Amino acid sequence: MLELLLLPVLVIFGLSFIKSPKTHKPLAFISFLILLPSAQLLRLPKPFHLLGDYLVVDDLNAYVLFVSSIVGIGVALALMTLDKHVKVSKNAYRRFYRFFAIFWVGLIFSILSNHMGIYWIGLELATLSTVYMIKTNHSNAAHKEAWNYMIVGAIAISLILFGIILIYASAKPILGEDAMNFNLLLAHAKEIKSPFLFEIGFAIASVGMFVKMGFFPMNLWLANIERASFYPVAALFSGILESAVIIGFFRFSKIAMEVNYNHLFTFVFIYTILTIFIVSFLIFRTKDFMRLFSLSGVEHMALIALFWVSGGTFAALLHFGAHAFLKPALFLSTGVLESNGKYRIAGALKGYKGKKGTLFWFLVSLFLLAVISLPPSPMFFSEIYGFGAMINVAKSGHHLLAMMGAILILLILLSIIFYKFVEVYQSMKYEGEEHSKKVYASELFSLVIFALALIALITPPVMNYLKGIS
Amino acid sequence: MVDFFIGLFLASLITALFTTRLYRLLMWYSFNSLTLGILALLIGTELEDNAMLITGVATILIKAVGIPYFLKSFSQKFHFVRQITPEIKVQYAIMLIPAILVFTFYLAEPITNMIANNSNYVAISISSLFLSLLLMMEHKNVAPKIVGFLSMENSLFLLGITATDGMPMLVELGIFFDLLMAIVVINLLFNREEMKNA
Repeated sequence: MLELLLLPVLVIFGLSFIKSPKTHKPLAFISFLILLPSAQLLRLPKPFHLLGDYLVVDDLNAYVLFVSSIVGIGVALALMTLDKHVKVSKNAYRRFYRFFAIFWVGLIFSILSNHMGIYWIGLELATLSTVYMIKTNHSNAAHKEAWNYMIVGAIAISLILFGIILIYASAKPILGEDAMNFNLLLAHAKEIKSPFLFEIGFAIASVGMFVKMGFFPMNLWLANIERASFYPVAALFSGILESAVIIGFFRFSKIAMEVNYNHLFTFVFIYTILTIFIVSFLIFRTKDFMRLFSLSGVEHMALIALFWVSGGTFAALLHFGAHAFLKPALFLSTGVLESNGKYRIAGALKGYKGKKGTLFWFLVSLFLLAVISLPPSPMFFSEIYGFGAMINVAKSGHHLLAMMGAILILLILLSIIFYKFVEVYQSMKYEGEEHSKKVYASELFSLVIFALALIALITPPVMNYLKGIS
Repeated sequence: MVDFFIGLFLASLITALFTTRLYRLLMWYSFNSLTLGILALLIGTELEDNAMLITGVATILIKAVGIPYFLKSFSQKFHFVRQITPEIKVQYAIMLIPAILVFTFYLAEPITNMIANNSNYVAISISSLFLSLLLMMEHKNVAPKIVGFLSMENSLFLLGITATDGMPMLVELGIFFDLLMAIVVINLLFNREEMKNA
């Protein structure tokens, strides 16, 4: 099965060396093939040992990989018409695919790993490969941001490794070299003799992961990078790379819950609320699509982390799935809306005629309203379940009133974001001048895939699958 | 003997912080990696850990010889600016570096109390991590920032061999692979770009 997962990636890598102007079209279709083994992994009995104890498939990582492979297809489709919207050379195209393949190898290993070390190696590989993807845009801003990403990303990933070493040091006396194994560590978490050492390691690794996701105090670095790079890179960041980061947080925090739940909850609660507080005001001041969606991504990742540590596994995973589909869809739409460097929000949705044009603005409107949790968006349901989980935690901890206050503050902050998105949508639809604009079939097809995936998230079989993940 | 090499490891990193020439900085990074490799060999021999011996040899070959050689050839190929003056003045750095060392020893005390063996080494690795961060922060040029990132990786490797008596072999080799990948990406980032500010 691992061969099937890696085969399309290796084919893409090999084909990217062929100097033919038509290479990028088959490459996009080969990206589809990653979906087949990912879908098969969902159906297999769990846990399924893909590579000994190193790569083990369970319900959680099978779901994350499946969601990521759908996002990968959407991005590959949008890549087909990248040169219609921005200036990109054929060489840069091929190199983009080469690093896209390396990115996938890193992701497959980090998502499916049951080993802290392999998780880190996969994440580092994926991070390094995205550096070059940012550079595909031959602008000074992209060059600067590629270096910025390389350096800040390296610091973040080093913090994660630092945390892993401390966690390993805390568990090695009882588990030996198996202390790197997530499942074993979870089973023996209560036996760890130095819980403080584990918690320090967890806190440092979490800060590394939070920096990678743009949490406090690094709220703007990701937004600047996504602004400077081509839009498929932003879609890959928000839809796939952040999935690999958050699954690491899920794994580590699951163990931390066993070691000392109260410490974990307080740490993540304060960190995420602080992040959402700052991000909501940054969103309010935003003047372009990319930064708007990027900062909104930070807000959603913070909510996912908060729901997860509150025990709302279902809410966190539903929110994660919805975010993984909505954000790349919005980033890819941005590529069309900002076609040829026109960054204006006013009237951005005007001028799309014909069946394709109408479907495009309808889908963009749908995504914009869904990302601010208007029902029946999956995000609406996930937030209801998530806040419910937070209240349940407060009830068991006898601090219900404080939690109600925190939820009220959260709702006020979310309403600021809601207001900004509605204002942006109204400006896109009803203000500005109307110019004739074009949308291509492959882009539309990718948006339709994301819309169908979103609808599928709220169907009973998917809901039941997510509820079954403990 | 281990104490002596740990001291050399820290001393080479501190010297690197005051360096104003690029090739000298690469030389100090190479020396820092060499002491790290020798430390891995010494601790590996003491623990009879073959995996640590292999990683020690790999450290010397890749980090002490390979990476400085490639970075030097990049600097010649892409005409790096070789005068790299730190943004923090020497008189302030002289006060800041001991302050970081004292602060990290104090900060690391609860951690070192829980580690049975080599607890002082763990504190040194953590302070090296902070010093590597300082190296990244005190330069505007890209090349010293890369050396800072590589030194940070060395500090983490030292933490791995001292706090845990060695990480699993698979992880060590994976880290080496990622480091080589980083060098490839750095080469591509420099490629065909104006190097006025590099």
